[in-house]
Amino acid sequence: MRENPLREGLHLPRTPDPCSLVIFGASGDLTQRKLFPAVYSLAMRNLLPERFAIVGVARSKETDAAFRSRMKEAVREFGRDPIQEKVWRRLAADMRYLSTDFADDGGADRLVDLLAKLDRECGTAGNRVFYFAVPPSAISILVDRLGHRRERWRGWTRLIIEKPFGSDRESARRLNEELNRFFEEREIFRIDHYLGKETVQNMLALRFANGIFEPIWNRQFVDHVEITVAESIGIEGRASFYEQAGAIRDVFQNHLLQLVALTAMEPPADFTAESVRNEKVKVLRSMRSPSRSNVVRGQYGPGFVEGKRVPGYRHEPGIARSSTTETFVAAKLLVDNWRWAGTPFYVRTGKRLAKRETTIAIQFQRAPHPPFAKEADEELQPNVLLIHVQPDEGVSLAIGAKVPGYGMTLRTVHMDFLYGGAFRVELPEAYERLILDCLLGDATLFTRADEVDEQWSLVDSIVAGWKRERADSPNYNAGTWGPAAADELMRRDGREWRRR
Amino acid sequence: MAQTLRDTSVAEIERRLDERRADEESTQRTSVLTHMAWVPKEWSRAVERVMEGLGARVPSRTLILHPDPEAKQDRLDAEIEQERFPGGARDVCAEIVDIWLRGAIAKAPASVVVPLHIADLPVFLRWRGRPPFGKRELEQLVDVSDRLIVDSAEWPRAAGDSKRLVALFDRIVVSDLAWARTLRFRAGLADLWPGIKEARSLRVVGPRAEALLLRGWLRSRLRRDYKLSHEPERSLKHVEVDGEPVAVPPLPVLSPSDLLSEQLEVYGRDKVYEAAVRAV
Repeated sequence: MRENPLREGLHLPRTPDPCSLVIFGASGDLTQRKLFPAVYSLAMRNLLPERFAIVGVARSKETDAAFRSRMKEAVREFGRDPIQEKVWRRLAADMRYLSTDFADDGGADRLVDLLAKLDRECGTAGNRVFYFAVPPSAISILVDRLGHRRERWRGWTRLIIEKPFGSDRESARRLNEELNRFFEEREIFRIDHYLGKETVQNMLALRFANGIFEPIWNRQFVDHVEITVAESIGIEGRASFYEQAGAIRDVFQNHLLQLVALTAMEPPADFTAESVRNEKVKVLRSMRSPSRSNVVRGQYGPGFVEGKRVPGYRHEPGIARSSTTETFVAAKLLVDNWRWAGTPFYVRTGKRLAKRETTIAIQFQRAPHPPFAKEADEELQPNVLLIHVQPDEGVSLAIGAKVPGYGMTLRTVHMDFLYGGAFRVELPEAYERLILDCLLGDATLFTRADEVDEQWSLVDSIVAGWKRERADSPNYNAGTWGPAAADELMRRDGREWRRR
Repeated sequence: MAQTLRDTSVAEIERRLDERRADEESTQRTSVLTHMAWVPKEWSRAVERVMEGLGARVPSRTLILHPDPEAKQDRLDAEIEQERFPGGARDVCAEIVDIWLRGAIAKAPASVVVPLHIADLPVFLRWRGRPPFGKRELEQLVDVSDRLIVDSAEWPRAAGDSKRLVALFDRIVVSDLAWARTLRFRAGLADLWPGIKEARSLRVVGPRAEALLLRGWLRSRLRRDYKLSHEPERSLKHVEVDGEPVAVPPLPVLSPSDLLSEQLEVYGRDKVYEAAVRAV
């Protein structure tokens, strides 16, 4: 049969197939702060399938009604949209809660039975999304229990796995093997919420939709790239997680390396999941493991952040006084390929830094021979293309301009594009975009197994170096931009971190 | 606060706009287009309602042109207003300039608006009511705009005028709000494929313009004719194919302001729409 000619030019919002969304870890913070508000916002915009059910799964005892009421409160507190009773009632009607710890087969059987019942009652067609909002250690058992029962539903299955995916290359590979025993790679959606951010996706638009950037996006014209993922908050009560992860597993291994890959990747042939991810993997494979002198780790001591006195990391609740866990990492990374050979990527991430900011700065080479008197251009900085991922999402370009007057004095000025200025719509939350993409089966913004593998390979090499030396902790004050050694990392190359 | 200029000139309007721009230290102007609206007197109140909140969504310079060809004197009057909206670190600013084109100037609007267009940004022309096809004012503004937005439901004779609208397709990209309002029903009709190929009749309860567009769309896409029966209503309520009601997906029904704001974000040509109008 020929294609439906009435569909041509019909620009309708994409609507997913009927399905059930199962959230493991329904009593956790992520579910309340991010997942439910995101699902509600999708419901508000009619982006969920018409036949849709949600099952929250956690160990704590709770009734369906109590679960609904707790989630409604979460949407009210953390959501970007005000509660509309009509929308909420529709969403809550097919919302269930299951209390189980999956220690035995009983819990899994009850879940599978409940989903089958929802298929009959709500028309969810045997399609399942399982969201693992649980610690990595809990994933294996859940996957095993589900995997052994997967012949009991007939529709498609998708698994969303939260970061960190494993704790090193070996554990990530092991987890992948466990997943692959029952599920195919196309069914596994490893989430890194940074990829759901509009500005991160705009990076692809900026690079590949603008002819002016491509010819200069390489070692010949770019002096260096600087990527900062800075947080002003501390560990926010996540002591046990953070002690295990540190900054390198919490942010560097995933968000930061994803930003490097998106900045350095070659243009994909098309915007399909496989093409985009193929190009990102090539970058990660081309990255040289940094030598010990090219990595700086740090841990914050006490200080002032935004005018408020804050304790040092070792005095955070739940943290040992002798902890050497890093809360800051900076590194000079080199991408050994034709495009970037010799162009350093300086990256840093940390907690309790001077301000919250995620930026990608592409610093271009200076003009080779400005024909002005030396003093005329001493204020002049090299051109910098600055991508603000958060906050104040947008892009700015630093260019040299003449200061008005009779002489010829030059100064750097910024041409700014602010997302919120040009597009007067609220940006969707990253989780909204990613949950919707998963419901639609689009894996472009999710991380593939080989990407994770390459990321861990780099991280493992750094961590191995650290094991051979004593950490100098704490080595920076809260509210600053990290240890002095991070400044030195750039200074010895004759560069300095961008002025904030 | 609005600035009122009586018996003014384009240069004076430009000067006042520049002055205001210089005053905006903490305000950011991120215009994405110049939006012109041609508003005969009988449409003035409707335009006010649509403009409310539009600047917050589509930061632009809006030129609202009020033609007054019967005036005894050739004269320009204007009112300049700025709107500020929160936009992150800095406010976002939109400008609205109401211009009354008195006397003969109402027939030569291009000379007034071209100097006020923001350079290098697209120019959208919203024409309220029926465009005076073949008349100078329409011809001139079509020549200096990138996109014409009409609402054929505002025209007394939608069928006859559609043919005249087709003549503009080679000169300017056209969009029709009546067409945009049919989206839900087009989605519902598309769901009837392939059975709809064999259908014979279409019944529409709603504005005539929208009924004609729906039939034109089916004709052009499926290359066959449908007998149209139409029951007038202020808005598109109901569609039947061979006596069977068409179920529509749960898409939001947009307000006139949202509908226009959505059109101001569309830049490309809609060939499916053009074919539908040709088949009306």
